[in-house]
Amino acid sequence: MRATDNMDRGMATAALRATVRHEPGQARQWGGFSTLTEGLDFAARGRTGLNFHSPRGALDVVLPYCELRERALITAGKLAAAGLRPGDRVSIVAETGPDFMIAFFACQYAGMLPCPMPYPMHIGGKEAYIARIAGMMRAAHACAAIMPAELSAHVRQAAAMAGVSRVLTHEELAALPEKAGAIAPHGADGLAYIQYSSGSTSDPKGVLISQRAICANTTGALRHGLCANEEDRAFSWLPLYHDMGLVGFFLSPLMGQVSVDYLATPAFARRPVLWLKLMSDKRSTTCYAPSFGYDLAAKRVNGEARKLDLSAWRIAGIGGDMVRHEILHAFARALEPAGFDPKAFMPSYGMAEMTLAISFASLDAPMRLDTVDRARLKMARRAEPAGDAGSQAARTFVACGKVLPGHEMIVVDERGQRLGEREVGHIWVKGPSLMEGYFRNAEATAEIMRPGGFMDTGDMGYMLDGEIVITGRAKDLILYHGRNIWPQDIEWAAEQVAPLRSGDVAAFALDGAGGHEKVLVLAQCRLRTMEERDDLRRRIAAAVHQAAGIECEIVLVPPKSLPFTSSGKLSRARARAMYLSGEIAPVDAPVPETSAPLQMAASG
Amino acid sequence: MSASRDEIFATLSRLLEPFNPKGVALKPDTEIAAELNIDSVGVMDFIMEVEDTFDIDISLNVLSETHTMDDLVRVVEERLKRDTP
Repeated sequence: MRATDNMDRGMATAALRATVRHEPGQARQWGGFSTLTEGLDFAARGRTGLNFHSPRGALDVVLPYCELRERALITAGKLAAAGLRPGDRVSIVAETGPDFMIAFFACQYAGMLPCPMPYPMHIGGKEAYIARIAGMMRAAHACAAIMPAELSAHVRQAAAMAGVSRVLTHEELAALPEKAGAIAPHGADGLAYIQYSSGSTSDPKGVLISQRAICANTTGALRHGLCANEEDRAFSWLPLYHDMGLVGFFLSPLMGQVSVDYLATPAFARRPVLWLKLMSDKRSTTCYAPSFGYDLAAKRVNGEARKLDLSAWRIAGIGGDMVRHEILHAFARALEPAGFDPKAFMPSYGMAEMTLAISFASLDAPMRLDTVDRARLKMARRAEPAGDAGSQAARTFVACGKVLPGHEMIVVDERGQRLGEREVGHIWVKGPSLMEGYFRNAEATAEIMRPGGFMDTGDMGYMLDGEIVITGRAKDLILYHGRNIWPQDIEWAAEQVAPLRSGDVAAFALDGAGGHEKVLVLAQCRLRTMEERDDLRRRIAAAVHQAAGIECEIVLVPPKSLPFTSSGKLSRARARAMYLSGEIAPVDAPVPETSAPLQMAASG
Repeated sequence: MSASRDEIFATLSRLLEPFNPKGVALKPDTEIAAELNIDSVGVMDFIMEVEDTFDIDISLNVLSETHTMDDLVRVVEERLKRDTP
């Protein structure tokens, strides 16, 4: 298994690149399968597969698709030996490595439903992590949890809280005998997996995806979005428990027999430039990241750019957060010496509830920017073109492309009436990629379903020549570095800090300078001295950091200043607007950390 | 080879300087990420510096149980012992 494979020598000669292709004479097939196992059975006939790199960039493990299939078939028998049966939910920690992928496909061959779970990423985040995965296992009614040995203690504690009694490390699973007759793959009408990337810690929602949805979505992405070809080689540092990592850079490449090089997410976070170095070595053609990933790499690359060759990179996708054109321009400038082509940028729109992809901007065209009048956007909900992009009165958005074939995307007003071009409203989608619903949560599913089979995405935007332009979230969801963060999680953590009480805290995001989103936490404060207030701010920051792993700005506001709806619910949108207008003012005015003025986001 | 806890603390303090622009005083019970208000990327950056300086690896599960300076000193100390039999 260790680094002996000929797929990967990291060199750019034509002869070596030929070895990552499919078997000579064996035609490639870009999706079009009816189940995930059908896709893997086909991919296993070729020589492509998955390469895993160490935190310092060395090729660590190679897993050709044929070996993934063999080992998944064996592991399916071991899942059955553990007492699991078709239809059972199996929660698996989705670390970036072969074990997760083998277990995921073992579930496919055994007719079980894998539920990828995160691994802990934050310093001091153990308790928050355990609470989070316990919630996921509980919501999934998980029948078993599987994890790497190093997380054994964490997962066992969470499993106990969730009432899951079958807990196995990959090694323990491998040590079981293989039970015969376990192979019972999901059929074309069956289910595929459950994705827990939606909902707060206390109320996680499992996105239930069918075989039909995953096959439709990956086929659409391969054929229409990415126009995959035989030279393609993907690269990813995205976490595999997120839809963009799982579907975009594991299941989609597999359904198109594309090879993938992986760097684990924490390794990327520690060494962002390693991402670009590896892509240069591998002559990678396809990679996605949220805007913040491009930002991080551009800031670190310094003099290294001219040593890199990124000329093979044809799709630099952006997804997972609002597409920030300033950040992308800065990245393109910084990586110009490496031969990076800005036309490779491909803004995209998607979400787990639609499996992953909804729309892709067109290939080989520069990003389409649309500069609109800020005041008309806010007041009249119309995106009127504005002349001067640099002016404070204008705001520039990025078009995220046309909806996948066979799917539909519309923009509607509050009453569900379709809006015209440049009119801002709620984005609704439908099509074969739509989830079955939130797992065993009919209420949450009904909340977002709309007449005519549409689902409300929760996002706001407008249409521009058939392309969608996202302007913001209708919900209070905070997008932070590509992660979805529920403000409830932040507020709950802050409210545990004495002397704060329930209802004392409101959390929301603001667009800061340079396209960076920042998280603001307003806390009602009854303390009088400067020292006490400083101490309170520090303790709130500590609590929020531990719960959500994010940096935030704490603003202490007077008691009874936060707005509530008539039904007693905190109104974050109003709190945000009142803060920006100065109607809610800090109890003291600390020296601002930056002198840059905050931009007011359009959706506020 | 074996560094004393004070030496480890001093080295960690030096490595933390770039992440501590406000100059928060570092004590054994200082909560690293929270009190210095470093974001998750900054923390990873700092941990990389620690790993490179001491030539050790710190796994994520260990990191998830590390809160204070003193916790981190103990982690470094343990890793150093483990790597130099």
